[in-house]
Amino acid sequence: MTPWVHIPQLLAAGITMGAIYALVALGFVTIVRASQIINFAQGEFVMLGGVITFFLIKGAGLPYPLAALMAVMAVIIIGFLLHLLVIYPLRKASVLILIMATLGASIVLSNTSALLFGTLPKALPAFSGEHPLVIGGGIRIAPQSLWVLGATFVLFLSLYLLSNRTLLGKAMEASSTDPLGADLTGIARNLMIFFAFGVSAGMGAIAGVLVTPLFYTSYNAGTLLGLKGFIAAVLGGWGKNSGAILGGFALGIVESVSIAFIPSGYKDGVAFVILLLILYFRPKGILGSPYIDSRRW
Amino acid sequence: MVAENKNEFRKRDLLYTGGLWLISLILPDPHLPYRREFIKKRDFFYLGALVLLPLILADPLIYLMALAGIYAILALGLSLFLGYAGQISLGHAAFFGIGAYTTAILTTRYAVPTVGAFWASAFVAAAFAYLIGKPILKLKGYFLALATLGFGEIFLVIVKESRGLTGGVSGIFGIPWFSVAGFAFDTYLKQYYLIWGVLIGLVLFAKNLVRSKTGRSLLAVAASEDAAASVGINVAQVKVRVFVVSAAFAGLAGSLFACVMSTANPGGFSLGLSVLIVMMVIMGGMGNLYGPIFAAIFLTWLTDVLGGYQEYSLPIFGVILILLLIFFPDGVGTRLNARLIYLISYWGRKRRRERVDI
Repeated sequence: MTPWVHIPQLLAAGITMGAIYALVALGFVTIVRASQIINFAQGEFVMLGGVITFFLIKGAGLPYPLAALMAVMAVIIIGFLLHLLVIYPLRKASVLILIMATLGASIVLSNTSALLFGTLPKALPAFSGEHPLVIGGGIRIAPQSLWVLGATFVLFLSLYLLSNRTLLGKAMEASSTDPLGADLTGIARNLMIFFAFGVSAGMGAIAGVLVTPLFYTSYNAGTLLGLKGFIAAVLGGWGKNSGAILGGFALGIVESVSIAFIPSGYKDGVAFVILLLILYFRPKGILGSPYIDSRRW
Repeated sequence: MVAENKNEFRKRDLLYTGGLWLISLILPDPHLPYRREFIKKRDFFYLGALVLLPLILADPLIYLMALAGIYAILALGLSLFLGYAGQISLGHAAFFGIGAYTTAILTTRYAVPTVGAFWASAFVAAAFAYLIGKPILKLKGYFLALATLGFGEIFLVIVKESRGLTGGVSGIFGIPWFSVAGFAFDTYLKQYYLIWGVLIGLVLFAKNLVRSKTGRSLLAVAASEDAAASVGINVAQVKVRVFVVSAAFAGLAGSLFACVMSTANPGGFSLGLSVLIVMMVIMGGMGNLYGPIFAAIFLTWLTDVLGGYQEYSLPIFGVILILLLIFFPDGVGTRLNARLIYLISYWGRKRRRERVDI
């Protein structure tokens, strides 16, 4: 059987997965645009978003929308706490120390979640029905995928408005591109990074709520999702919102289509091969990056 | 002036300095590479402690020390790359795994003697490091960390999927004990002496390397790559060299690990191990050979103790890791020693001041 038969269906799955990667990548980019820090605990926000929603519905018996909203708020608070307890004390530390600290935070978050909510994988009901839509050529699309795509678009738009149309967004960006200049104009840089962590955690949590009906979310799912979101951000263009979206969809589609040609066990390796290739041949990504020039990286 | 100085120094300070001098005997020295002596009295103290330690330790603790020795070899290798050359690697668990699997495959499938497999492990790990290091070592900072992390993940995926070669998720069993000319290292005590013996050899090698021209250029590269290039150091070549050496150390450690555990399975070579090794180097202090070894012993002991708390162990470990990073970002020994040197020199400074005044 030729693998080409499955390509359209795999493309549809890839686009859904790509939207998720794009959301995670947007979370990375939000923090980087404010502080040049890479938060390795980003994937844990996604995991926590899904797991806390599940807990609020099953444990506390709240209605679905309220539970989702409260979960997002809770994860935003966790994001603020992460900044206050880990990033702020280390604001003058080297890159290596920050990498290790955020990795440590990721260990704490994922295993605390395992302690509090159990280690079993969790699944939420879809937002609007489980019946897959069938479009031309017999491609089946879950309605949840459309929700994911719509949410990605809305979040991308609101992030664009935040960073280009509001003073807060511009102050956030200034504190990263020119720290001294930001200080001189009276921008409280640490406050901006604090906000960026909140926004980024919120985006991660929304991605988690959206993805849990499609895939099972367990306590250790966050690390890999976070890494792939990071790869998407690098692939599209480091530090650009549009790059994160493009990289997310590109990674999702390539990874999904690769299943047709190689054994599915190697699927997780594909993303990292792409990472090594992009870092070697074009470290600034497809769309280019404002933060990387050939000298520094 | 003189009278004031006399009031400044009290008997209590003498007590502190005495105690701190005792601590200084066992704590690593941050300025070791700059000193003139190659082997100091302190080294004989360490050596004696190492040889005599099994007399007072129970059997499980000897096993723990053997494991700590393996991690210490890993940390020593990474210390050259991370501490001296200032490059970040989150993929050292992969080289450790390559070493372990090389030994496992050679001894179980091809009946190669363990000594041969031991050296082959180092060679294979170094070869992989050369192939990987050539392209990715031009990256810096976050991106180098991510690239090495990606290499580690690819290694794990390949090991899990190529069942014919590596036995998949369950791994390879029945690796023979390490044996030299018919003498098998089949008890924990013998393995302890084997591993720490190898470690002593590698420490001597690393000390020589650090004092050589290559070692000096490593420090220069860590300080500033542009400045290093401007004085005629081939930065790319130096980085690849130290990466290969550090991977060879990891390969040796992996080979010993396979012989001690007599199994090799992918669970032991994940990102968690890479993080643990980097943590050992950070705790031990950058640009320091003894520090990572002490940190390896401490962290191995800590993971063993925390293992008793079952599911609470990993959250507690993460919190301890973050606290160590916040309070000792440049190494536990380094910070304690800075205080120590200040206090000890306080005495000398005081005497000199008095002499000038009189």
